[in-house]
Amino acid sequence: MNEKKKDLAFFVGMALLSIICLAPIAIVLINSFKGQFFISSSPFSLPDAKTFAGLSNYLGGVGKIGFWKAFGYSCFITVFSVCAIVLLTSMTAWMITRVKSKLSKGLYYAFVFSMIVPFQMVMFTMSKIANMLNIDNPIGIILIYVGFGSGLSIFLFSGFIKSIPVDIEEAAMIDGCSPIRIFFSVIFPILKPISITVAILNTMWIWNDYLLPNLVIGSNYRTIPIAIQYLQGGYGSRDMGALMAMLILAIIPVIILYLVCQKYIIKGVMSGAVKG
Amino acid sequence: MAQIIFENVTKIYPNNVKVIENLNLHFEDKEFIVLLGPSGCGKSTILRMIAGLESITSGKLFIGQKIVNDVAPKDRDIAMVFQSYALYPHMSVYKNMAFSLMIKKMPKEEIDKKVKNVAKILELTPFLDRKPNALSGGQRQRVALGRAMVRNPSVFLLDEPLSNLDAKLRTSMRKQISLLHKQLQTTFVYVTHDQTEAMTMADRIVVIKQGQIQQFDKPQVLYDKPANIFVAGFVGSPAMNFIEGELVCKDGKFWCVNENLTIDLTKIKCADKLPNLKDKKIIFGIRPEDISLSAADQKDGETFKASVLIAERTGAEVYLHLVVSNCEINSRVGSNADVKFGDKIYVKFDISKAHLFDSATGKAI
Ligand SMILES: Nc1ncnc2c1ncn2[C@@H]1O[C@H](COP(=O)(O)OP(=O)(O)OP(=O)(O)O)[C@@H](O)[C@H]1O
Ligand SMILES: [Mg+2]
Repeated sequence: MNEKKKDLAFFVGMALLSIICLAPIAIVLINSFKGQFFISSSPFSLPDAKTFAGLSNYLGGVGKIGFWKAFGYSCFITVFSVCAIVLLTSMTAWMITRVKSKLSKGLYYAFVFSMIVPFQMVMFTMSKIANMLNIDNPIGIILIYVGFGSGLSIFLFSGFIKSIPVDIEEAAMIDGCSPIRIFFSVIFPILKPISITVAILNTMWIWNDYLLPNLVIGSNYRTIPIAIQYLQGGYGSRDMGALMAMLILAIIPVIILYLVCQKYIIKGVMSGAVKG
Repeated sequence: MAQIIFENVTKIYPNNVKVIENLNLHFEDKEFIVLLGPSGCGKSTILRMIAGLESITSGKLFIGQKIVNDVAPKDRDIAMVFQSYALYPHMSVYKNMAFSLMIKKMPKEEIDKKVKNVAKILELTPFLDRKPNALSGGQRQRVALGRAMVRNPSVFLLDEPLSNLDAKLRTSMRKQISLLHKQLQTTFVYVTHDQTEAMTMADRIVVIKQGQIQQFDKPQVLYDKPANIFVAGFVGSPAMNFIEGELVCKDGKFWCVNENLTIDLTKIKCADKLPNLKDKKIIFGIRPEDISLSAADQKDGETFKASVLIAERTGAEVYLHLVVSNCEINSRVGSNADVKFGDKIYVKFDISKAHLFDSATGKAI
């Protein structure tokens, strides 16, 4: 009886929490279907016959901010940054974990330390240097993302690689693999669950990032967050309806990615390789 | 042709941990060699040096006619079965076995033939499409063996391959590995700390203690003529009984004497060596099966009064834990023995099968 009460209380608590978390998104979603003048007058009501604006916010917004171009830049930067991060940091983490030397230990701590340096501390020098090196373009910014993404990614990969028995690599070595082959045929496939975790974390961050592209590539190559920003303020009135609609469009790809990848994040992929 | 020769091999791990010093060994081609010793004695280290997974600090290692100190593992023509099996978790059983052949770029049909053939021998055919995590311990074990077999190596290295299996499976896998050795006709080096495994499978056993070879010989020789007290105590189960004493000459006979017991050594095998060792501290060793029950005290220096601490019945035999005037002694007698806790009985030592060791050096006399 007592157990059941506890369960119920837990359930109610969790339900409240999730409502609090989801409410802002729900409000944005609701308002993206309202005519823009009703958004400020009745922000919390559901759209009715009078306030419902159909897809006009979406269609208008897409045109206004050059959505597809921004989408293209965002995709390009995110996809290539994330691929580069997963590939490069998993290799680095493998080396750092398996090679026992002062250098590898030093590298590890350098990467971990980079996680706690606030972005705001380095952002102006960094954008200045990016400018000097002529990497202030969509390709160059990938390099910068690899740098900023590597701390957490290497930390996560290293933790996982430590749990892979070295025996497996030694077996591959005896089976005739070169180190490169060991990595791609044996280690990288085993890393799949953590690779997906790393990919999702980095995708969400890079896709939504505003500050870094704003500082480095600015208005020449507008990514989605920057393009949306131009709906705010700027010339004349702000178009709240289009803004809401674009926000919804912006989060859809991340949600899809998460849903697709979720089933790959399975625990216990390692089980069975070595003794129980 | 794959003999293995260690010539003055020394292995020092980082931080100056000296594990193996001046190792000299010669394994013949096609031999089944077992490296036997307690945990941490350096068995795995020796095996891993043969595999090339561990560098050799100094000395020479030959496989076949070639020095292999600087040869990569993949070029040594060896296969290894790990204690942990070390299967590739993301590959099916089939791919686990085919992997090394795929790397060699062997034609697909040939790989298929080899893998299917090995799978048949090891009774793995129904599991070829499964991943390792969907197999039982014994099946995983066989996949690990199969992965080594398909390569047809000239040296087979096995590091405690049976230690994760239950007792029954272990017995049957023991048989299977022995058979495998007969079929494959290659050199096997097998690491274990289980003396039963060693005794049942080996052509020759290397007994190791703290990186030093204690004895290297056929199982029966190890059993009948242990070189020192360590080998005597390690080989055989239940273990040999040891009684400390002094070698005393009295009435023209030699005796092993301590404050509780006086054992007549007239019939002992090494009797001819005893005159030189008078008054030395010695250790008298006798195996449990060489102690039998006796009807009465014959007062002959071979029969002693004992009280039964525990009688363990295994079905076929009875293991007796006895106290013979303050010495604890194990004996192994037929199942018809009618003894129980607290009984006072007489036991007779078969002195002709007993061993003597020098107490100072531990060496056999
Ligand atoms: N990488 C290493 N660095 C330092 N010392 C090591 C290393 N590997 C093993 N040792 C030491 O070398 C000794 C022998 O190790 P080894 O693994 O060969 O023992 P083993 O006989 O196989 O034991 P077990 O039966 O427990 O497997 C041990 O004392 C161990 O602590
Ligand atoms: Mg070992």
